[in-house]
Amino acid sequence: MTLNSALRSPGSGARGPSRRSVLQGALGAGTLLTAGALSSCAGSVASATSSGTLVRIWDLLGGSDGQIMGEIVDGVREELPDITIDRTTLAWGAPYYTKLAMASTGGRAPEAAVMHLSRLIGYAPGGLLEPFDIDMLEQVGIKESDFPAALWERALFQDQLYALPLDTHPFITFYNPAIAEPAGLLNPDGTLAEIDSPDALLDAGRAMAEVTGAQGFSYGYLSDPAQGWRMFWGLYGQTGADYEFTPGKPVGFDDGAAVEVLEFMQSMLDGTVAASNSDYGGAIANFSTEQTGLIFSGVWEKTSLQGSIPDLGGATVPIIFGTPTAFGDSHSYVLPRQLVANPERREATYEVLAAILKRGLRWADAGHIPSLVPVVESPEYQDLVPQRNYAQAAEWIFLDPPVWFAGSGSDFQNRMCQAMQTALQGLGTAQDAVDTMIGEMNTFLETPAPA
Amino acid sequence: MSATTSETAAPTPSSLSPGARKDLRRSLREAERRAQELHSGRSGYWFLLPFAVVFLVFLVWPILYGIWMSLTDRTLIGTEPGFVGLANFIEAFGDAQVWQTLWQTVLFTIGSTIPLVLIAMVMALLVFTGLPGQWLWRFAFFASFLLPVAVVTQVWAWMYQPDLGLFNTWLGALGFEPVGWLTDENWAMIAIIAATVWWTVGFNFLLYLAALQAIPEHLYEAAAIDGAGAWRRLFSITIPQLGRTTWLVLALQLLASLKVFDQIYLLTAGGPNGSTRSILLYIYDTGFVNYRLGYASAISYIFFALIVILSLTRFFGGRKEA
Repeated sequence: MTLNSALRSPGSGARGPSRRSVLQGALGAGTLLTAGALSSCAGSVASATSSGTLVRIWDLLGGSDGQIMGEIVDGVREELPDITIDRTTLAWGAPYYTKLAMASTGGRAPEAAVMHLSRLIGYAPGGLLEPFDIDMLEQVGIKESDFPAALWERALFQDQLYALPLDTHPFITFYNPAIAEPAGLLNPDGTLAEIDSPDALLDAGRAMAEVTGAQGFSYGYLSDPAQGWRMFWGLYGQTGADYEFTPGKPVGFDDGAAVEVLEFMQSMLDGTVAASNSDYGGAIANFSTEQTGLIFSGVWEKTSLQGSIPDLGGATVPIIFGTPTAFGDSHSYVLPRQLVANPERREATYEVLAAILKRGLRWADAGHIPSLVPVVESPEYQDLVPQRNYAQAAEWIFLDPPVWFAGSGSDFQNRMCQAMQTALQGLGTAQDAVDTMIGEMNTFLETPAPA
Repeated sequence: MSATTSETAAPTPSSLSPGARKDLRRSLREAERRAQELHSGRSGYWFLLPFAVVFLVFLVWPILYGIWMSLTDRTLIGTEPGFVGLANFIEAFGDAQVWQTLWQTVLFTIGSTIPLVLIAMVMALLVFTGLPGQWLWRFAFFASFLLPVAVVTQVWAWMYQPDLGLFNTWLGALGFEPVGWLTDENWAMIAIIAATVWWTVGFNFLLYLAALQAIPEHLYEAAAIDGAGAWRRLFSITIPQLGRTTWLVLALQLLASLKVFDQIYLLTAGGPNGSTRSILLYIYDTGFVNYRLGYASAISYIFFALIVILSLTRFFGGRKEA
C-alpha cells in the first residue's frame, strides 16, 4: 500500500502544473499585487492635494503648547479654506534636527518647519534652507519693524532672512505668591521685588525656605541635556564677559567670569536655597506641591504649572551680575530645501505662516512671548498675567554662541551640562568644571564644520 | 523514499500485470529525473532569490556604500562630499574620544559578560535542582528579557532617581550617604551594567536550562553508583557538559555587549562627562547629531574590523573546541 502510493504520486504530479510553475506564478502575482498597492498609494496622495494647495509643516511642539498650536492651525484652516495644512509634530531634541536635515538633504522636506533660531547657523550655510522673500512677506503683512531688532538680526545669514521668528522662549522664574508674600519678596502690586545681587538672591531663597520648611527654590538640572547650560549661559551673559567661538581657533572665554557664575550656582544648591540634586521632573514636582516657592524654568512650563498653582507669578531671571540678559531661544519657521519647489505651495506657505504669527495672542497662552512687537504691546497681551511680567526678557534674549555645533538640542549643550554636573552636585570644584568646559569647547572648535 | 532511488531494490509485487509494471518503471524514471534536477540546484535559486535581494540591498550595498562614505567628507547637511582618502581613518586613530569610548565599550563588555554568564548559569542550576514551583522560577527569570528597552530604562531610572529613588531610600534607611547612580562618574557605568544584567540575563538562563535538560541522566546514575556526591557531580559532570553552551553564551554575549547603545542612550546619553559613552554612541553623535557622516563611517569600520577579528578568533577557537 504505502509503496504504491509513494510510487504513484510523482507520476500524477507530472501531469498537473509543476510545483515550480506554481511558485513562479505566485511570485509574479505577488509582484503585480505589490505594484498595484504602491500605485494606489500614490493615487491617494494625489487626491489629498487636489482638495487644496497642500502646505506641510513640521514642528517640535509636543507639550501643552502643541495643543494650543493645534487650535491656532485650526483657526488658520478656517481662514484659508483653499489651503490644506498638514501639521506633523515630532519629538523635540537632537533626533528632530537629524530628521529635518535628512528630509532636506533628500529634497523631500515639508514646505515649512519649526527650528530653534540658535540652530540656524548650523543649517543655513549647508544650503539646506531657502531664504524668505522679504517682498512676499510684506504682501502677507509681515515686516521687519514688527520684530525686536536683536531677534531679526539673528535670523539673518549673509544679509538674507532664513528664519521667521514665531516667539521667544526665555529661561525665567515662576513663583508662588502664597509663599513669596510671607517671605517678603513681593511688591505691593504682586510682582516679584527686585533682586540685584547674588547675595540678595540667596537671601530670598532662604526667606522662602523658612516659609516652606523645605527649600526656597526649585532648579532641576541632574541628567538634563540643557538645564545646567540654560542657567549658566544666561548668568554668564549677565556678567558682560566676552566670548568668541571661531571654528579652527581656541575659544575666547572668560574663565574668571565662568568660575564666578558656577560658584554662585554651587552656593545656591546648598540644600536650603535649593536642593542639591534635583532633576527636571523632581523640581517641577517640588514647586507644584509647594515644597518650594520659586522655580527656574522655561516659559513653556507656564500652562502645566498653572494647573497646580492658579495664581502663578512670573518674572525674568533676576539680574544679579549687572547686565540685563535672559537666556532663551526662539521657535522660528524655516523653509527647508525642496528638490522641486512648487511656487503655488510656496505662496500658500507664506500666507499660512503669516496667519499663524498674527495669532500671537493665542500663542502667548502657551507661555511663549510672541515675536510680533505689536502683539506684545497690545492691551490684550498686557492683561495677561504672568506673561506681561516676564515679556521684557524678549528684549534681553541671549542665545547660544552663533556657531554650528551650539544651540537647542545640540550635543554641545549636553556636554556643557555634563561638565557642570559634577561641580553642581558638590563633587568637584567650579574651576575644574570650567576647565573641562573649555576643553570641550576647543574640541568642538577643532572639529571640521559639516558645512 | 528508498523505493524511488533503486528499482531493483524494491520488491516487485507478483500481482502486478505487465502493463502496470511498465507504468511503474516510467514513473520511477520520472521521479529519478526530478530528483536529479533538484540536486543539480537550478530551481533552488528561485527560493534563494527573495533573501538574496534583501541581503544585497540592505546589507551588502550599505556595507560597500559605507566604505565609500568613510573615504569622503560627506555630511548630513548639504555641501557636496569630496574624496579625502584615508584622512578620516587617520583622524580617528588620533582622536582621543575614539579610544576613550572604545575602552568604555570594552569595560562594559567585560563588566556585563562575566555576570551575565555566571548569574545565568547559577540561576539555571538552582531551577534545575528541582525547586518547587518550576514554572514560576522559569517565568520570573525570563520575564524581564521580554520587556522593551524603553520600559526597562524608565523603571531603572526611577529606581536610580537621586531624591526619591528606591536604592537611595534603602541606603538612607541603612544610614548611608545617597549615591548619584547615574550622575556620578564612578557609579554610572556600574549602574548601567546592573540594569543590563537584570534585563538580559533571562536569555542566557534559558540557554543554560535547555543544556542542563540535555545532559543524559545515566551519567549522574553512574557517578552516584561510584559514590560521587552532589558537588562532585556538579563540577565533574554538569559544568563540563555545559562547556559548549558556555562557549555559545559567551560568544553571543560578547557580541551583544559590544554593540551596547539603547540603554546608555536612554539612561545617561553617555554622561556624566562621557563616562558611559560607548563607541556606538560616539558614532551616532558624530554622524547624526553633529552630521559628520564620513568620519562616523570611518569610526564604524574601525570598530567593525575589531569585531570581525574577535569573531574569527572565536570561530577558530570554536573549531578547535569542536
